[in-house]
This record gives sequence, C-alpha cells and structure tokens, in this order.
Amino acid sequence: MSLERPQDTALDAEGDVDPQAILDLLGDRVLDTEEHLNADQSVVVRPDAVEETLLALRDEAGFDHCSCVTAQEYEDRYESIYHLKQYDDPTNEVSVVVPAAKDDPVSESGNAAYRTCDWHEREAYDLVGINYENHPDLKRILLPENWQGHPLSMDYDQDRPQVVTLGEHDNPLKDDHRDSDSDTMFLNIGPHHPATHGVLHVKTVLDGETVADVESDIGYLHRCEEQMAQNGTYRHQIMPYPDRWDYVSAGLLNEYAYARVAEDLADIEVPEYAQVIRTMGAELCRIAAHMLALGTFALDVYGDFTAIFQYAFRDREVVQKILEDLTGQRMMFNYFRLGGVAWDLPEPREDFFELTRDFLDGLPGKLEEYHDLITSNEIFQLRCVDTGILEPEVAKSYGATGPVARASGVDYDVRRDDPYGYYDELDWDVVTEDGKDNYARVLTRMQEVEESAKIIQQCVDLLEEWPEDERTIQSNVPRTLKPENDTETYRAVEAAKGELGIYMRADGTDKPARFKIRSPSFSNLQTLPEMAQGEYIPDLVASLGSLDIVLGEVDR
Amino acid sequence: MAEQTLPELIADVTGLGTYGVAGEFLAAFLGAFVIGSIMLSYTGVAGPWAKRKITAAFTDRYAVNRIGPFGLLIIVADAVRLLSKELIIPEDVDRPAFDLAPIVLAGSAMLGFAFIPMGSIFGINMQIADPESGLAFVFAIASVATLGLAMAGYASSNKYSFMGMLRAIAQNIAYEIPLVLTAASVVLFAGSLQMSEIVAAQTLGGGTEPLFAIGGLEIPPWFAFVNPFAFVLFVIANLAEVGRNPFDIPEAPTEIVAGYQTEYSSVYFVLMYLGEFLHIFLGGAIGATVFLGGPAGPVLPGFVWFTIKIWAFFLFTQWARSAVPRVRIDQLIDIGWKGMLELSFANLILTAILVGVIV
Amino acid sequence: MATTMKHALDGEKFTVQYPEEAPEVSARFRGVHKFSQERCIWCRQCENVCPNDTIHIVTDDQRQGEEYNLHIGQCIYCRLCEEVCPVDAILLTQNFEFTGDTKDELVYNKEQLKSVPWYKDIDPLESREPDRGAWIGEGEGEIDYQ
Repeated sequence: MSLERPQDTALDAEGDVDPQAILDLLGDRVLDTEEHLNADQSVVVRPDAVEETLLALRDEAGFDHCSCVTAQEYEDRYESIYHLKQYDDPTNEVSVVVPAAKDDPVSESGNAAYRTCDWHEREAYDLVGINYENHPDLKRILLPENWQGHPLSMDYDQDRPQVVTLGEHDNPLKDDHRDSDSDTMFLNIGPHHPATHGVLHVKTVLDGETVADVESDIGYLHRCEEQMAQNGTYRHQIMPYPDRWDYVSAGLLNEYAYARVAEDLADIEVPEYAQVIRTMGAELCRIAAHMLALGTFALDVYGDFTAIFQYAFRDREVVQKILEDLTGQRMMFNYFRLGGVAWDLPEPREDFFELTRDFLDGLPGKLEEYHDLITSNEIFQLRCVDTGILEPEVAKSYGATGPVARASGVDYDVRRDDPYGYYDELDWDVVTEDGKDNYARVLTRMQEVEESAKIIQQCVDLLEEWPEDERTIQSNVPRTLKPENDTETYRAVEAAKGELGIYMRADGTDKPARFKIRSPSFSNLQTLPEMAQGEYIPDLVASLGSLDIVLGEVDR
Repeated sequence: MAEQTLPELIADVTGLGTYGVAGEFLAAFLGAFVIGSIMLSYTGVAGPWAKRKITAAFTDRYAVNRIGPFGLLIIVADAVRLLSKELIIPEDVDRPAFDLAPIVLAGSAMLGFAFIPMGSIFGINMQIADPESGLAFVFAIASVATLGLAMAGYASSNKYSFMGMLRAIAQNIAYEIPLVLTAASVVLFAGSLQMSEIVAAQTLGGGTEPLFAIGGLEIPPWFAFVNPFAFVLFVIANLAEVGRNPFDIPEAPTEIVAGYQTEYSSVYFVLMYLGEFLHIFLGGAIGATVFLGGPAGPVLPGFVWFTIKIWAFFLFTQWARSAVPRVRIDQLIDIGWKGMLELSFANLILTAILVGVIV
Repeated sequence: MATTMKHALDGEKFTVQYPEEAPEVSARFRGVHKFSQERCIWCRQCENVCPNDTIHIVTDDQRQGEEYNLHIGQCIYCRLCEEVCPVDAILLTQNFEFTGDTKDELVYNKEQLKSVPWYKDIDPLESREPDRGAWIGEGEGEIDYQ
C-alpha cells in the first residue's frame, strides 16, 4: 500500500466523499450533476467517456466496487447508471449517469474498469436495449438469443406473446467441431442436472477431465421480476415478490432490501420495536439459507442425498417452524410492510421465545455434528482445500460479495459498514477467512450461522423485555403511497448470498417507474470461470456449489 | 478335501447322475437355479427395501412401511414399476453392445457366486463348483464387470456415459491389483486356492487350532484376525471395485448424471441396478470367504452365518455411503497406484516371509 | 461416520406419518380462503390489492354483488386481501388440504369459498387475535346462512 491512499483525493476530513473533489477529478467529462438520494455525488458524463471516468474513479478515488449497472428509458433518452461504492466504506457512493440517444442508444462499456459490468451490461442490452461499445461479448443473457425486442423499453408490446422455439436457438453442438485437431470435448452441463442448483446451463470445454473453458448460460428462470414490480403499488403489491428472488427461505432478507429502499425513497420511519423484529427474522432466514447451502454443497461433494443433506434440512425445518409461527408461511413470508412488520409476535409470547431459545440451544450441538461429518473429514478436506481459488482482487473486480468474498479475505458486510435495522446496536462479528477456496467458503457459512445465532439471542432478550405499551409494529403509512416525482435511490442489504441492492425511481404515481434488482448471485456466478478453469470437473461442480447461487436470484 | 457340491447332490438325489454328462449338466443347471434364486432374492430385498430402510435410519426418517408387513411388498411394487417403464433406446447407440452390457454386468456377478462356499443348511452344501483354482476364477469373473461397464459407457454414445466409463475403467484397474494381492497374501496361510480349503483353514476343528482362547471362548483363526492389515486393505479395495462411497465416481450422480447408466431405462436399468447390488454381495462374499471364515460360526448352520456376513458387508457399504464424501478421480488414482499398491505389495512380501520362515 | 450410526441407533424420527397424523400448523398459517357474502360490502379493495389479479368480482349497476371468484391455484397466499378487507369478509384458514383434477376446478366461486372447512376445527381468527369473535362458528364445512 502506498503512503498516500488513492481515495484521499475524493474524501474530506471525515472520510466522506467530497462532491466537489469528484467533479474536479473528472474535469470536462462531466456534463451535469444530479441528485440521487443515496449517492454523495451523481455525475452525468458523456457516453464516450465512460471508460475513462470509471477508471479515474476506481484508480484515483478508490471506488473499487461497481455495485450495479442500471439501465432505463425515459421519454427523451436512455440512461445507464453505474453505482459505485468502496469496499472499505460502502457509505461512500458515487453514481455515474450516462445518457444515450433515444433513436440509437450507444454508450461505452465499463468493462475495462470493472469486470462486474460484463454481465450487467449484457442484461441492460438484453432488457432495455442500450448498445455498449468495447464490450467483449455483447449478446443477450437472460432471454434467448433470437428474442425480438427489449422488454423493459417503452416501445415493447407487453401484451403480444412471443415464442422462441429451440430449433431456432443456437445449436450447442455446433461448437463441438471448433478445432478438429484438438483433443477437447464440449459438454453441456445442465439445465437438467442434479447438481446445478436450479436450471443453469454451463457450457464447458473439457480437455480430458480438466476444464479448459467455462461459460454459464442463464435465463432459464427469468420471470422479469423487475417488470412485475413496476406493475405493483409500493404499499402492498410489491412486497410478496422479493420473497421469490432468493426463494430458498431467505425471503425476509429480500423483503428487507425492498423495505429499506422504499422507506428511503418515501422517507418513512420505522419504529424501534419493528426494527428488532425485522432483524431477528432476517437472521433466522440467514440461518435457514446457510443450512441449505451447506446441505446442497454436501450433496455435490458426497454424492446423492446423504445423511448431511438430510440433517441440514431437518435443522432448517425447525427454523421454518419458528418463522411459520411468526409470519404465517414457511417460505414465502410476506411479513414486512413499509414502516414495520405485518404482525407482532404470536401470542403467547413465552411459547415463541421458548421455541426460539430451544432452537438456539440446540444449534451448537448440531454444528458440532456438521464439523464432525464435514469439515474434519479428511476426504472432504482433500476435495475442497485448494480448489476453486478466488483471489480477493479478482473477487472485488467482479463485484463478488457475501460469503464468497469474505472467504477470500475481503472484509465487506453491508450490515456492519452501511448499517440498517438494529444491527449496529447489537454485538456480533463479521466472519472472514483467508483460504479463498471452497473449504473456506463452507467454513465462512458455518461460522456465520453462529454469528446469526448470537444476533437472534440478543434480539429475543430485547423483545422479551420490551415494555408493553411501546410495541409499535408499524408506523403510519398512507394506503396509497406516492413518493415525490423524479426521486431515485439505490440501497443494499446483506442478503444470504451477498449484497442485494435495489434501485428505484419514482415518478409521482403509486407504482415505481424503474425497479432494478442487483442480485448477489448474479455477480457471484460471473466468477465461476475464474474459479474453475484449469481444474477438474468435480471441482467445477464443487465450486458451483460453494458459490451458492439461487437461480431465482440470478435470473429474476 | 472338498465336500459334495450341490449339483452332485442333486444328481444323486434325482438320479440324473445315471444319464452321464447330459444329466450332470442338468443337475448343474438346477443347482445354479437354486443359488441364483437365493442370491437374486437377497438382492431384491436389499435394493428396494433394505437400502431405503437403512438410509432412513441414518437420517431419522420413517421409510417404507406402508405396503405389506414392514413394507416388504415394496419389492413387488418396485418390480412392477420398473418393468412397466418404457424401454427407450436412443438412435445412435451401438446396438449389440448396448443390449449386452446389462447382461454382462449382472451375469458376471451371478457367475462369481458359483464358486463361493456358502456353507451347508439342512445338510445340503451350497456350493456349485469347487475347482482347485477357485479363488482365481472368482476374481477373473468378477472383473468381467469392467468389460460390461465399458460396453455400457461406450455404446451409449453419450458424453456423460463416456466419461463415466473412462473413470470406471481407471478405477477398476487401479484397485484390482491391491484387491487380488491382499487376498493372495492370506491365501498363503491356507496354502491352496481352492475355496473350500481356504474356508477349512479358518474353521475350528478337524486339525485347525484356535488363534487364542479367552476364558473358554475360542477365537477361530479367521484371516481377518490373523492379518487385520490385509483385511482393511481388502475392504477398501472392495469398496472401489464395487463402486461405492468413497469411490463411487463411475456413478457420481451429481457430476455426470448417472455415468454409464445414463441411457438405460426399464429392464436394462433393472439389470444394471441388480447387477450393482449383486456385485456388492459378491464382494462381501469373497471377503467373507477369504477373511471371515465363510460359513464358519457357532450354533447356527453355515449358510445362515454366511448370509449374516454378506449382509453385514452390505450394511457397511450403506453406512459408508451415507457419511463419507467421494474422492476426486485423480486423487482416487493417486490413492490406488501410489498408496494401496505399495501397501499391498509390502503386505504380500511380509506375509510370504512370515509364512516361509515361521510356519 | 460414528455420527450417522448414532443417529441410526437412537431411533428418533423427525418425519411425520401423514395422513394418519396430521401435522401441526401454526395459528397464522395461510391456507385456503373462506368468504362470507353476508359480511362483504363489495368495496373491491381485495381485488385491487391482489398482486396477481386472482380475485374477480362482478357487481351489477347498483353495486350489488353477483360473483366473487378466487382462483386458489393462481393465488400466492400473500394474505393481502385479508389484510385490507375492512369488514373481515375474506379470511385465510389453515386448511391446506385441497385438491382438484383440473386447473378450472380450482377457481372457487363464492359458494365454494364459503364452505371451505376449517383445518382440524381451528378457527384461525380466534387463534390469531383473541378478541375477534365475529367469525366463530361460521360454516363448519356446509353452506350456512346467506
């Protein structure tokens, strides 16, 4: 590390972003500034100066995390927004807004600065229609290759159905004869496959058992959740949808993302009691999601539905029972509301606390079992240590977050660095490991379960002591919520797989004008080629399992 | 000295022996039919019923308990279900090889049972043949399964099957040698390859001395007790031969779907599935004969003890399957050629020296 | 490996022998809807708030209710309709045991919605909020008062 930190050029004395310093840094590339609720500075730059701008911000101002690339269409222009943050301090945010012409939307790609932009810009091209110059491989990512039109653009006919048959689709076997004199074999893994965690298609080129090239083909579970959210009212109708992004029982964490961004947009206060309940619910979901990650990873490495998978599911059942008592459903909770939560704790409260405390008391014993069966098993260590290596710099450049990044030593956790809810009042630690391999990722998740248990214990103690007349679960929010016109914000929470961010823009009606979801699994999955190239197929499968992707989140 | 084998018994009882070679052939067929039925019934109970019950016990669940007493009629239900499925044969497969592969797989396991001395029950000695080189025969026949795997994998014209086949062949070849070497090392104690001699060398009475006696309980000289190191090596090599965790790479469902079995459905699948379980039982049978004294045991008839031993081996493989992860193919080959091979050679040489010098 | 053997030998079972033993669901469980035409004021709040247009209401020109159709196959069981209803006319019971042979059978009209049986005779409102006695006894699975 050099003596003068690069971000000092943009930060003022307290370590916050100095808006003027950013403008000075970028000079004449800036066309205008905007007001975003989340960013310390939002600059509008020329479409052909994107790469220079982003490189300058990354190298000289220290914004090394490109959190999300949003694309949207206005009446008179297209726009791409690059939301930049710093891994060391994610409250420092800069938005780079790039307008593009309405009739021929072209802007420069940011891929040279951040590898995150690779897939994010492909998605922007796919759904909105902006072309990115200098992009390594700009083709559709979520929709089939020969889909006509861009669904989220304004001139797309929503009511006309379109059917793309497989016959017209790119023939995957065509690539088999790439090199007639090479020894490589092309293999399609998935989408029907026991180990791809959903419908994921991985195109691999194999050299014997070694993986020479890996390319993921996603989009099989694309439901255009963004469109569906844009068709629902803020107050009620959007809230069931976030449950369905990361559907493996991390529903409350997704709902937290939406609640956070909507409350930010409409400036709604959440009472403290509701925040404690929200935190407790979110951490219960995190335990359930990590249990599932553990179980399915064991499934990948151990083969078939072995005992560990069943034990993980059995332990997850207990969490789901607690959540059922609290919210009414075991998976798709729809429990948070804007301004608080839907219900208070179930009556009688003592039973609920007893149930939760019993679960927390049994948890160390169960984790011991997992340590016995998994982490201290020599064959498991033989399989997982030193496979699927992800260097921290590579992780940062791809925008990897969550346990994937923390197992490579990147100390980034939105709960601690950009606090929300009741997290900053509770006593807990962020778990990082240095291993960078599959084994470290498994260890990180298991330790995070313990940390979540700590948080829940503290929340339960708090809730039990809470005076009865101060138990407000929801603040007063009008039934039809219409935030101010032309306000936009981007907020993130720490979901089970990493940083889940939502960008929302309001246009004065009761439905969002643009709802962009930045899902952690999307960026994490992008790192798969880095992890798997040069290794064997079993390691590829294990790496995919340790990335812990959920296709509902990847494809939305 | 060998006891009367089953076909000889049948020939005597039914009077077929008087018809010469043809009669002996017929008697042999009848004997094979009896043994085959018994083994297939074991497999039938093991596959649909016992495997599910055992796995459920390990995972705190109820298992098959609806149909029939203790759920045993699930065997019938499964048989009907599997056989009534559509037999799908893809267009590009190599026809004769594709069809013959399941038969080779299941058949090689069944053939192996011909030479195993399974003890006697009701005075009938359940062994079909007892040649003087019995053990070599059994190993040779059991290895034919590898040929079946190769046929299945290559003829399926499916990349997953192809990869499964390559892995299976590599694994089988690598672990065949330690398997045979460790078995051979204990055969040095018996001094003969004839299966019944090997068993007799481990059975108390008639000239063999107990290993040691603890307060009136005489421990028979089972080779597992005499050379436990070889026993452990044999068990590990056996797990690799039959393709069970931690060595179930040929199948590896989460990586290459079903390996060499991917393209098989209905009857062919039943044959391969049964063949796999038969191989597990055959491996257990060889292990029991060579190391655990075959049908030897107090009180109960020999055949019952033999059954207990091979089921114990099956239980062990199910237990390993539920708890042990699988190794990667290159690690597997490493362990096979670098680890097990040296150890089994060392074991053989040591045993040879001990037997030559001491005995 | 010893761990799994311990699990095998301790004999505890975690699964439930359904259907002999119906599982316990919590009081707030969101199952099939029950509708009371008696109480409905046809305000259409539920129809408005439903995220995927599952409820269809038909009224005549005097705003008298004629049809109330709810597709329980399409419903996502989010409970928003129950939440916004000002008069507790629609309610999600704990009953999850419903079947249909075709998708069309799962479109319930108001008669079918009225006669949805309670699950294990538990009145969900009573168990959720003890002082809402309005629904107690309403419809034991047969069509009751109109």
